[in-house]
Amino acid sequence: MDLFNTLDLVVLERSLDAAQLRQKVLANNIANIDTPGFKRSDVSFDSMLQAYLGDPERPLAGRRTNERHLPIGSGDIEQLRPSVIQETSTTVSSNGNNVDIDSEMTQLAQNQIKYNALITQLNHQFSLLRTAINEGRR
Amino acid sequence: MGLFDSMNISASGLTAERLRMDVIANNIANANTTRARIVNGISVPYQRQLVSFSAANDTSFSTYLDTEINQFSGKGVRVSSIESDQVNPYKLVYDPSHPDAIKDPNSPMYGYVRYPNVDVATEMVDLISASRSYEANVTAINAEKSMAMKALEIGRG
Repeated sequence: MDLFNTLDLVVLERSLDAAQLRQKVLANNIANIDTPGFKRSDVSFDSMLQAYLGDPERPLAGRRTNERHLPIGSGDIEQLRPSVIQETSTTVSSNGNNVDIDSEMTQLAQNQIKYNALITQLNHQFSLLRTAINEGRR
Repeated sequence: MGLFDSMNISASGLTAERLRMDVIANNIANANTTRARIVNGISVPYQRQLVSFSAANDTSFSTYLDTEINQFSGKGVRVSSIESDQVNPYKLVYDPSHPDAIKDPNSPMYGYVRYPNVDVATEMVDLISASRSYEANVTAINAEKSMAMKALEIGRG
């Protein structure tokens, strides 16, 4: 792990990617609100990240100093990727569509706030680095 | 995955809902059009038009690649067709003085005028629904816009 590749920054970066993808998926759900038979999709990432960060095995993960090393422990954060899941079991309207506009708009707003929070956090990490580089002189 | 992908998706929703509103407006405007076209000398009233949507998913290579990389290839919505309402019957109004009334005295429908199968109340309900869906897409675009602007602030603070 070098200066710009700390776990914090990588986690933030991955979460931003996931939030961006989630925004796209939610936008697609909203655009298809009147499409007969359309089933909504969602992005699953938070639980995977939580499992990764909360995994007690993780501190014991093998440190890879060479590309040819086998990953030991719960592995690389690079392996952590958001996955898109389609919800096919529910139906909201009579035409087979299961997009609930209230829930979609709420999730859209939540995702937006989360994205902003992640960027604030990222900027904070950068400002910490800057402080270190400037020897605390600002 | 491009920066503006989600905005393009919402834009496809805007286009589709606007077209739906246009078609509804056309239905309402033609609610009393008894002579949309003439077939064999008999005037045929306007038929209600219906818009059908489908999820836009093209089958190009880039779509499959996108599905493999991002596991998502949604491209928004597209209008698959505009069709005439063949199910609901024309409204019949007895008015022998109307120029488009059925003139044939032997016909059991003598004196009746065929009006379009447009129910203005149904159209208004659809109009409100389309308008609300349009607004939802606008909200999504605004959210995406503010996220993109926020992303430009990375590293500035």
